[in-house]
Amino acid sequence: MKTELMLFWIAVSLYGLSTFSYIFGLITLKDKLFTIGLFSALAGFLPHVAVIALRWSATGISPFISISESLTLGVLMIVLFFLVFQFSTKKLQPLGVLVMPVAFVLMGWAATLIKEVAATLAPALQSGWIWAHIVGATAGFASVLIAAGLGLLYLLKEKKSGGVYDKLPSLSDIDNLSYRFIAAGFILYGLMIVTGCFWANQVKGTYWNWDPVEVWSLVSWLIYGIYLHLRVTFGWRGGKLAWYAICAMFAMIISYWGIPFSVETFHSGFRIEH
Amino acid sequence: MKNIITVLSSARLAMALLVIILACCLSGVTLWRGAEAGRMVFATLWFNGLLVLLVINVACCFFGRIWGRTVTVISFGMILFHLSFVTMFLGVVYNSLFYFRGSLRLTEGETLVSGDPQSYDTCEQGKFFSFARLKGETTLIKMHVGYKVAGDDKRVAYEVAVGEHNNKKQGLIYVTHKLSHQGFDYFNDKEGYSLLLVLADHQGKELYGAHVPLQSIPVGTTGRYRYVTGHRERDTVVADFGPFPAPPEKPLFALQTAFEPSPLGERSGTVTFMAHPLDGAGNPEETSTLTRGKIAIGQPFSLGNSVVIPREMRYWVGMVVRYEPGKAIVLGSLWIGLAGMIITTIGRIVRKTNQDAAQLAGL
Ligand code: HEM
Repeated sequence: MKTELMLFWIAVSLYGLSTFSYIFGLITLKDKLFTIGLFSALAGFLPHVAVIALRWSATGISPFISISESLTLGVLMIVLFFLVFQFSTKKLQPLGVLVMPVAFVLMGWAATLIKEVAATLAPALQSGWIWAHIVGATAGFASVLIAAGLGLLYLLKEKKSGGVYDKLPSLSDIDNLSYRFIAAGFILYGLMIVTGCFWANQVKGTYWNWDPVEVWSLVSWLIYGIYLHLRVTFGWRGGKLAWYAICAMFAMIISYWGIPFSVETFHSGFRIEH
Repeated sequence: MKNIITVLSSARLAMALLVIILACCLSGVTLWRGAEAGRMVFATLWFNGLLVLLVINVACCFFGRIWGRTVTVISFGMILFHLSFVTMFLGVVYNSLFYFRGSLRLTEGETLVSGDPQSYDTCEQGKFFSFARLKGETTLIKMHVGYKVAGDDKRVAYEVAVGEHNNKKQGLIYVTHKLSHQGFDYFNDKEGYSLLLVLADHQGKELYGAHVPLQSIPVGTTGRYRYVTGHRERDTVVADFGPFPAPPEKPLFALQTAFEPSPLGERSGTVTFMAHPLDGAGNPEETSTLTRGKIAIGQPFSLGNSVVIPREMRYWVGMVVRYEPGKAIVLGSLWIGLAGMIITTIGRIVRKTNQDAAQLAGL
């Protein structure tokens, strides 16, 4: 437990450093700070992976049961997507300005909620569907968060010029890239819902019960379905959709970790009546 | 008429419906919770009407607009996606006409006739469901506690047999594993203790015996339970007195029993009992108590001119029986929808990449 906690806080601190560098990078317009931000995110990612691996290997219980574990895994996916994207395109240096603060805050929140690993896995969770379900949920969130980050860059570039801003791709390219991440998020949320339905069907014989977690996942999906329609059928582009992507991202945080976990739902396991 | 079709096939209506449904969903998880959200939103006629309207809108608007266009990768994906909505809806409608859902309660060793509505605690079915589909009987052979599969603790498993003589199926049900037979699925739901109470005279001659299902009541926040004769009021169990012997026999007493399991052995423990005489109307006369006490399972106690023996403890289980012929259509549509989304997105990315390349080449 000791090492685990230490690694956890190292990861949180490095994400904090990354956040700080990105924000100051944007204020002072110094590229170097973005580079520091990126590499401290990478440095934080390593202990982050180690924390999850340690927890998992200690008991063999899949590491996404409690709210803290769910947050930790979600942030892992965010940072993973972010790093892969940043190292594959070098042109969007300040992207971390939105992504890393969110990762930092969620990870810090997870640290305060950390609990011992559960001794046993509730029978309802012993299903293969849960894997695809969790991957869909966390990767979906990572995608729409990056889309929101791109939205922020769009809005900034629209207003300002010089230095960092001139190095960014054109507005229409940023807009298009943001849209692709939204489309990916929409698909991944679709995967989350479909596998969730199959999982519920395996356990209870019903695929949809309007339980809060189900409804929240539908909410996420509808929010991005509306985005796609605004774009494809109503021809919206640019600034308006950038704002939409940013607001929707906050809605996602609430819909994931804010409310559903505070009420007893299907996901918190089963009550055995004897 | 033309106006109605124009409205039904407008993209504005689609957007309005999506936003309204989103708002309903949000209020159903914030303003109201749990069962209340169902009563206020999700189970209401107007909300389901909105969903139906959305499907009609998808059909008119999307297929109206897309009709006659050349099919590309992008539009093919979109067709699949929007079509999945329509087939999903057809699956739901078909299911609602033919489905059956029942909850069946059985004590170990007990058998009930599957096709008799009386066998079910509660059941509901579609207009065109026929009980003749439910053939034969359902038997609970045994309930296994602490059941494990490949090291995973499943807590409990029900060993059951369903069907007719020449077409019977026997198997285990546990969470994540159902039993299927002739289109019917059997799921585990809940379980409890069932006490075998035997009534005998003082010479030891047995007059009557019955399994009395006990309900669980949590003891404070200790995580332990008391198991009592009682009934359910909404979500809580209320301990009460039951007629003993139970009708159709002539009841002689009002009896309440509670079981406390022993940590030393499965199915062993102590029984606490209390009995009142019955008044003329068959209700317990709570002012006079015939007997009360506590004994181990298997020990007799006197009650009036007779003896009662809580002979043994068995388990009862509540199973959910489902017949949902439309479900495969609904679940299949989900994959089609997902595939549609993926195909459209890939199509768009490929098109954009090609456009960019063409632009570059043109420069
Ligand atoms: C929950 C409901 C719905 C969702 C989630 C949804 C989702 C989508 C998606 C993902 C696309 C493709 C966007 C892209 O290419 O990236 C699309 C396109 C489209 N949808 Fe829907 N849709 C829904 C309902 C409807 C309804 C009710 C209508 C009818 C009014 C409709 C009409 C269209 C049309 C016309 C297109 C564009 C086709 C074109 O390229 O012209 N959709 N929708």
